[in-house]
Amino acid sequence: MRILRRRGWEIPEREATPEQAYLNRRTLIGAGAGAMLLPAAAAEAQWLFGRREPAADPWTRNPADIPDLPPAMRNTRYQPGRDLTGEREPVTFNNFYEFGSNKDIWPSALKMPTRPWTVKVDGMVEEPGEFDVDDLIRRIGLEERVYRLRCVEAWAMTVPWTGFQLSKLLEIVKPLGSAKYVRFETAQVQPHMIGLRQSWYPWPHIEGCTIEEAGNELTFMPVGLYGKPLPAQNGGPFRVLFPWKYGFKSGKSLARITLTDERPKSFWETLQGSEYGFWANVNPEVPHPRWSQATERLIGSNERVPTRLFNGYGEFVADLYTNLQNERLWA
Amino acid sequence: MVLLVLAGGIAAWFGPGAPLGAAIFAIHPPFLNTFQAGVQRRLSPELWNDVFLPVLEWPGWLIPLLLGALFLAIGLLRRRRRHG
Repeated sequence: MRILRRRGWEIPEREATPEQAYLNRRTLIGAGAGAMLLPAAAAEAQWLFGRREPAADPWTRNPADIPDLPPAMRNTRYQPGRDLTGEREPVTFNNFYEFGSNKDIWPSALKMPTRPWTVKVDGMVEEPGEFDVDDLIRRIGLEERVYRLRCVEAWAMTVPWTGFQLSKLLEIVKPLGSAKYVRFETAQVQPHMIGLRQSWYPWPHIEGCTIEEAGNELTFMPVGLYGKPLPAQNGGPFRVLFPWKYGFKSGKSLARITLTDERPKSFWETLQGSEYGFWANVNPEVPHPRWSQATERLIGSNERVPTRLFNGYGEFVADLYTNLQNERLWA
Repeated sequence: MVLLVLAGGIAAWFGPGAPLGAAIFAIHPPFLNTFQAGVQRRLSPELWNDVFLPVLEWPGWLIPLLLGALFLAIGLLRRRRRHG
């Protein structure tokens, strides 16, 4: 007698799952698995690539009761010759190493309280002192200047800063004749400045200039941007600005200004002196060791335009360097 | 063995409490800055802050010591299997 023994895979046609049901089942399983994996994948991608857009407002004041700036007239002597950069880009695209090397440090920076804030001015001056930023604003008065800002990384912005000339602060403290340099020291605010955990770096962040550069009419001490209090990510509440130099020279969130007869060695000079020197004046003909400085990308429009000597401010500053041919003026 | 000697050398040269980052910075100052910029800008700021930064804060001798001990243990196990 013949015994028909069916193998496991031999089933009647009627028991086969209809094609449509099979496809639906596949979709269902796929959707279920996707639903389970998606949040994990999204979290992983966020952790890996960090490109999240926080909901916070990049103009948030910390503390929230920081008052509006008093009205400041725009000084029309300094014409930018370019359109202003939009209000969002300058406060969301920043270099501030104490908060990280990435450009989107603003959510971390905004957690740093910027009031009360004092700045000590000392060293070779007749009348050293510690000044409250809001007292300085009331005492000196404010003006608005639209400056072009040129980063050493070959991008640029054009923004209205509110503040006062550094020379007006120097008039208050009265520099001694022996003072040859000005040293700018950035505050060290733990735990907000996570970069300070890298204890091997030469903190605090130091920048410096000559006393002549400090006295130049262009050297500005911003406390505001677009008429609002200067956000921490832009160096708030109080910074220095040299519009004819690469941006890294303009120290942020200053805690101390010291007049001295010794040339300050800046943070970046200590780290990579061959790339970031003491003078760092903008010059399109002197390339950075790793890229050209001939052109710059305008933040916002992404248009690429030619870079100008001294960032276009030569008429104000070129005479500061007439007897310094032996210095590395352009790095 | 080389890694264990390296761990001892780092502890002796830079001090037992010196972080790994300080040892790297002393050997080649621009390296960590460039590396950090690469990680934070091209991969993730959190990867630097949550992974690399804590590791760089560990004592400089710790990683060579751990790796050295691990390789030594693996070597001893293999030898025991071969002869046992």
